[in-house]
Formats: sequence, structure tokens, C-alpha cells
Amino acid sequence: MSVTTQDRSLAPVRLERSLIPELERFGAVDVSACFNCGSCTAVCPIGTEDGAFPRRLIRYAQLGMRDRLAASPEVWSCYACGECTQSCPRDADPAGFMAAARRWATASHDHTGLARRLATSAPFATVFITLLVGALAAFLYTAHRPVSGREIALFEYLPATFVHNLGIAILAAFGVAAIGGLVRCCRTLSRVRPAEHGTRSTRAIGEAVWFAVARESIAQERMRRECADDPGVEARPWYLRRWFIHAATMWGFLGLLVATIADFLLDLTGLKPTGVHVPLWYPVRLLGTLGGLLLVYGTSVSIVRRVRKRERSVARSSVSDWWFLWLLWFAGVSGFALELALYLPDAPGWGYPVFLFHVAVSMTLVLLAPFGKFAHAIYRPVALAVLRLRSGSGGAPA
Amino acid sequence: MSAAAFARRIDADVLVVGAGIAGLQASLDLGDQGYRVLLVEREASIGGHMIGLSKVFPTMDCASCITTPKMSAAAHHDLVTTLTYSDVTSITRVPGGFEARIVKRPRYVNEDACTGCRLCEYACPVDVPHEFDGGLGARRAIAVPFGTAIPQKAVLDLANCILCGKCEKACPAGAIDLLQEPEAIEARARAVVLATGYRPTPTDAKREYVAGRTGNVISGLDMERLLAPNGPYGRVLRPSDGKIPERIAYVQCAGSRDETLGVPYCSRVCCMYAIKQAMLLSGALPLADITIYHMDIRTFGKGYEEFYQTARSMGINFVKAKVARITPRPDGDVDLRIEHQEEDGRVEDVRHDLVVLSVGLEPGDDVGRFAPVRTDRYGFVRSADAALDVTGTEVPGMFAAGTALAPKDIVDTVAEASAVAMRVAGYLRRSTETADELVEVARG
Ligand SMILES: Cc1cc2nc3c(=O)[nH]c(=O)nc-3n(C[C@H](O)[C@H](O)[C@H](O)COP(=O)(O)OP(=O)(O)OC[C@H]3O[C@@H](n4cnc5c(N)ncnc54)[C@H](O)[C@@H]3O)c2cc1C
Ligand code: SF4
Ligand code: SF4
Repeated sequence: MSVTTQDRSLAPVRLERSLIPELERFGAVDVSACFNCGSCTAVCPIGTEDGAFPRRLIRYAQLGMRDRLAASPEVWSCYACGECTQSCPRDADPAGFMAAARRWATASHDHTGLARRLATSAPFATVFITLLVGALAAFLYTAHRPVSGREIALFEYLPATFVHNLGIAILAAFGVAAIGGLVRCCRTLSRVRPAEHGTRSTRAIGEAVWFAVARESIAQERMRRECADDPGVEARPWYLRRWFIHAATMWGFLGLLVATIADFLLDLTGLKPTGVHVPLWYPVRLLGTLGGLLLVYGTSVSIVRRVRKRERSVARSSVSDWWFLWLLWFAGVSGFALELALYLPDAPGWGYPVFLFHVAVSMTLVLLAPFGKFAHAIYRPVALAVLRLRSGSGGAPA
Repeated sequence: MSAAAFARRIDADVLVVGAGIAGLQASLDLGDQGYRVLLVEREASIGGHMIGLSKVFPTMDCASCITTPKMSAAAHHDLVTTLTYSDVTSITRVPGGFEARIVKRPRYVNEDACTGCRLCEYACPVDVPHEFDGGLGARRAIAVPFGTAIPQKAVLDLANCILCGKCEKACPAGAIDLLQEPEAIEARARAVVLATGYRPTPTDAKREYVAGRTGNVISGLDMERLLAPNGPYGRVLRPSDGKIPERIAYVQCAGSRDETLGVPYCSRVCCMYAIKQAMLLSGALPLADITIYHMDIRTFGKGYEEFYQTARSMGINFVKAKVARITPRPDGDVDLRIEHQEEDGRVEDVRHDLVVLSVGLEPGDDVGRFAPVRTDRYGFVRSADAALDVTGTEVPGMFAAGTALAPKDIVDTVAEASAVAMRVAGYLRRSTETADELVEVARG
């Protein structure tokens, strides 16, 4: 008797024993500890909508189903609230597994191997990032010119076009890496279960994109609704809630990015040459200042929480968590120091080094974005849209 | 003046701590071999947990029918002295054996005079939740502990007594004695058997289950009482409103195999007792749907797998899922949240009208507090050798049996109790011979 099947999910799967140690290198605590009870899936505030995780994904890992795990957009659904970890009877840290799986996925979408090394080796990440910041600062320094005058004149010190061109080059590098990653991500997601994609109406696709980008990524509906707080932590005021800390960091970062680009455009159009003093309420400066405040607030709270480890969601931090947070924090804080130097009456001597540092850190941040924690901003919307399309309405899959 | 100066002294060959089925069986087997046994029990009656069970797997014997004969045999054995309502406060090694300090708490009823007629109980105006029935029924502030208790002697519970004096008037034997004091007892024994048993794991420890702690989420022991012929309602009703339950759920591993509770071990008996109760329930409530939510079913003994298969064929539902959360509904029903692992992995809140938490077993007492033995990290007595000397401890002359050592069922407990009696007898023989030899040597 022979069995034929149309069901692609019954096609032979390759099982790799190396998957567990590999995920553990990315920070999963003890994948084999899980005895598949399903508590984590059942307590997950969003598991019901996006399908069965984390348990099923942990099962894929235990069985060594690399392709299945890679093709599971669910890893990006998780908000890392820690509810599952709190209830896991095996102390298997399912939330930590999900985070590790995201790092692993980021690394598998990156063919340079950089993401992998940045996520798995603290010494490498520290040395590499320090050297990168140093190299960029040194490179910038090679272009510096002597300055006269009693006020800080950044673009007398460094030619504006030089900084701008370097900035464009960095953005281009970011773009190449991000698009490359996106393409690989889409390919992986469609590789294993292509049947589930089928053809969908433009309307459905539009709805899925709207859901993934607008409602989930920008408005962060579910994070505010379901994962507002850490489990077991008494209700906190809004400005200490997890979603707000995340929003502050994200909007602060975006605000700064937009302000920087706007500043650049104003300079290009000759409306306001970069470096010219403007009052605080000047829109671009105001946006930059507000963004900086939010960013420094958000990252500072996150750093303090990760150091204190009071909540389950921050009990275990990985290399990737740290370097991304610190880069953001340094970018924000050095930005403020720079603003201070610019507006102080007598040109303080430390203004120029801070300038070099700020630009170097910000460029490093952009350059490394697709290789670290920031990558979720690239992959998550795609994954969510795919999930939305798979489940039809976004409800539980039939 | 210390209480010890007036202490009663009891000399025995063996001191047995705890009069559950382990302590009873060990005492009987030692007594039958001619050793003098002092059996000390914390509660007002001997019998331990077993006397409170309904029927017992694997034989489905009525628990009281097979426990009471053992209880009365021990209570009436010429060589077994029983002390109830007594705490062992210390056991120390002394030359030739052990010295134990015991405090017998006052019952405020003269044990020698009380005939167990219960007239005091009928006279008492104070109703208190009955511990023996898991708080589901009521007792009086003065009462014989329960119908099958041994000794059949009343206990006055001073914490709830309003000192109205009605019992005193009602008692024909003049046994009520409110001036009773704790009695200090000093015991000497050549060997000790620790049979301190277990306690059920608490039902309020798991965060995800606490919210559900309404009247309709009960423990496995509560269900034993509901099923027992002498139970609080005489039939199975759900506690909140007396409704006859139609959709009963069992939550397995509700206190075991869970690191969040500090109890990572399997309690061994809960799968089997849940299956047993489900079978009894399908007899008592033929129309009820019964579902057992489990991670896996552990049937560890002879004939136990068959027992499980019988339950399946009786129509009891077995669903592989760990209940992740218990949420009460306004109408008294309860939602159990599970992942349908064997189906499509969807998450569902399944509605039930009575939920039983299959609580596990943890140590019955902190033995290290009063005895010089070592306990494992959960508090169970440590065997001298986990494989070859299970009932021995690292202290020569000190032994243990039953659930004081680890979770186990009655079958294994009784076997271990008889085994410990054998070990103790051997030890006593050897030490007697050595003592005799020493005497001979000394005489020259
Ligand atoms: C809900 C439920 C249902 C069960 N159903 C079954 C079944 O159907 N079949 C089966 O085989 N098993 C069943 N079991 C298991 C069974 O109850 C145990 O195997 C058995 O009762 C263990 O007996 P034990 O003497 O070791 O412990 P216990 O019965 O706990 O006896 C210990 C005694 O020691 C006393 N004690 C403790 N500390 C001290 C101290 N310091 N000083 C003096 N006294 C002390 C206690 O008061 C108690 O009386 C069930 C268990 C549960 C929870
Ligand atoms: S709760 Fe823990 S043990 Fe249970 S399936 Fe999830 S990770 Fe595994
Ligand atoms: S006997 Fe069954 S219910 Fe009890 S702890 Fe073991 S597996 Fe869980």
C-alpha cells in the first residue's frame, strides 16, 4: 500500500540536532527543559489570535525542525511580556526562547555572519562596536579644519558635505542590508508552507498591511492592550508602563531621525544652514529635543530595569539587548551634550569631541540596525502581515 | 519548677511518630513480634489521611472499612500504647537509644471518663467548618473528631468555644475539664520510626489558579469527602449552590511537577486517584461529563494501566493539556484555559461547573525540627540509601516509612511499613545481643 498526499506539510522534514545548542547560543535558556505542557501558549495574551506559540515553536526547536522554525512568522508576534515565563512549570523561559528565536532569525536572514556574532559573543560585540565607533570618529576627524571664533561652529570644524555624504553612504549601506534581509525573510516565510499563501484579494492584502504597519507597528494596539504591564507587577502609572517605555524609545528615535533628515534638507535647500542657532520652538529643533528627551528617558528606564531584573521580562538580558540599548542611550545623551555645547555662551573645548562622538555613535546605530535588535522593525511588519493573511481575518486559524 | 519534673515517663522498644496507615501497620507488625511500641499522633484520632478517603484504588475497597480494623487493632493491641493529640517536640540520641519529649495537648475532656456518647456535641450551639470534611461540612466546637475516629473521645476546641457551659451540663460522665493543662511526657525507646506522612500541596500557590479559588474549585481530598458515604452532604453536590454537577474537570499536576511552586517532582498518586474519583463519579452521577486534563497519565503499579484503560472505556475524557489558568464565571461555573495540543493547537476557555485540583503530596511535617535526621531538599526524610536501604536513615536506630519518605500510594506505604518493622526488629535483636555480649564480657 502506498500513501500519496497532497498535503505539503507532510513532505519529508529534515531534523537537525544542532538546532538546540544553536538557539541556546542565541540566549535560549534550556530548550530541552520544556515538557510541552502548553501553559505558555494558553496564557499568552496574543497566542489565541496569531496561532499556537510559544509551545509549538519550542517543539520545532526540540525536534530540530530548522526550516519550520525559520518559516514561523509567530516569532515576531511576541511582545516579550513574560507572562508565559512566569507560568512555565519547567522554568524553561519560553519568553526568553522567543527572544532568542528572533535573534536567531535575524542572524539567519543576514548572510554576512555579523548579526550572529553580535548576538552570540559579548566580547566580539563590545570590541567590534567600540572599534567601529572609534574608526568612524577617527575618519571624521581626518576631515577636520581649524576653527576660529568664540562660538562652536560645527560645520566649520567638519565640512557639512563631508558629514552629509558619509551619512548618505551609511543610510545606503543600511538600505542594502535591510532590503537583503527582507527579501530573505520573505523567501523563508514562503518556503515551507507556500500553500498557505495562495492568492489573496488586493483588499485582503491591503488590510493585512494596514494591520501590520499601522495598527500594530505604529499604533501598537495589542502591546498597549494585552501586554501593558509585567505580570505580577502592581499596576504602574502610564509613564512607567512597558508599552510607554517602548513607545518613548521608538518615537524618540524616529523623532531624532526625522529631525536630522529635516535639518539636512533645510540645509540642502538653503533655508537654514546646519549649525545656525535657532530658538527652542523652531520646529526641527523642537522635534529633535523632544525626540532626544523621549529616547533618553525610554532607554534609561530600560537600562535600569535590565540591571535591576525585577520583572520577569527583563530577568535575562542578552548581548544584543545591551549593545542596542547602550548605543541608543549614548546617541541620545551625546546629542543633548552637543546641544548644550552649541548654546552655551563661551565655546567649551569639549564641544568638538562630543560632536565627533555623537555622529560616530549615530552612524554606528544606523549601520548596525539590520544586524541587531532593531531588525524587528524590519521583519515584524512583514511577519504580522503574513500571519494576518494566513489566518484570514486575523482571528484564530481554523 | 519545670513541667518536666512532673513528666509522665513511658518506656518502649520503639517510638512510632505518626499514626497514618504507615505508622499503624508498622506498630502492629512490631507489636505482633513482641516489641513494646509507643505510637504518637498529632491529631485527635489515629488513621491519617486514609481514614478520610472514599474508596481506594486499585481495589476500590471502602477506605473506612479497611482502615478502621487496623486502627482499632492498634488501639487495642496489648503492646501498643497510643497517644493522640500529642506533639513530639524533640527526639535525641542517648546511650542505649533515644529520648523523646512529647507534649499532649489538652482536649479539655477527660479521656478516661468520656464515653463518646456525643451528648456534649448535640448541646453545643457553635458550628465550625469541619476540617475532616475539608471545611465543606460543619462540626460543633466540642465534638468527637469524626464518626470513625479512634479514640471516640470528644475534643473541645477552645478557639471557637464561647464558654456557655452547655456541654458541661450535658455530659453524663462529667468529663468536661476546662482546667486541663498540656501534659509533658518523656519517652525512652531503643528505636524510632518516622511515619509523619504527607500534607496535600496548597491550592492557593499557583498564581494562575488563585483567581479561580471559588467554592466550585476544590481539592482532590475535598472530593474524597464528597464521595465518601459519611461525607458532608451524603452525595456529590457542588459546594457553592448545591447544584448537581454536570461537567466536572480534573486539573492534574495542580501542585506537582511545577517549578513555579517549588515542587518539581511527580506526586505519584494523583493521576491514579483522579481516575478513581472519576470512576466513582460516573457511578454517582451517570449523566455528568468528566474530563481529566493531564500532561501525561502516570499509572505506576500492578494493574494500574488496566485501571486507566477501564476508565477510558467508561467514557471518561482524557485531554492532554496543562490547565494554564482558572477563571471563575459569575454563575459559579469555571473556565479552564487550555491549548488543544492534540488538535489544532487552538487555545480555549473550557467551561465546567465543578473543578477538582489534583493536589500533590508534600512532607507531612518538618521532621528535622525535632529529630536528628537529614531531609532532602523538599523536606522528605532522607533514606540511608535510596536503593538498598530505603527505610533506614543515616542515624542508627532511626527508621522511616510511608509518605514521610516520598509520595507513594497505600499499597507501597503498607509494604514499606511492614518492611520497616522487619528492619527495626532486626536492629533491636542485634543491639540486644551486643548489649548481652557486653554484659557477659563485663562479668568476665
Ligand atoms: C486525594 C487523595 C486520594 C488518595 N487516594 C488513594 C487511593 O485511592 N489509593 C491509594 O493507594 N492511595 C491514595 N492516596 C495516597 C494515600 O493517601 C497515601 O498513600 C497514604 O495515606 C499515606 O499514608 P502515611 O501513613 O504515609 O501518611 P498519612 O496518612 O499522612 O499519615 C501521617 C500521620 O502522621 C501524623 N503526623 C505528622 N507529623 C506528626 C508529628 N510530628 N507528630 C505526630 N504525628 C504526626 C499525621 O497527623 C498523620 O496522621 C490518596 C491521596 C490523596 C491526596
Ligand atoms: S510552559 Fe514551559 S514547559 Fe510548558 S510548553 Fe511552555 S515552555 Fe514548555
Ligand atoms: S501523579 Fe500524575 S497528576 Fe500527580 S504529579 Fe504525577 S503526573 Fe502529575
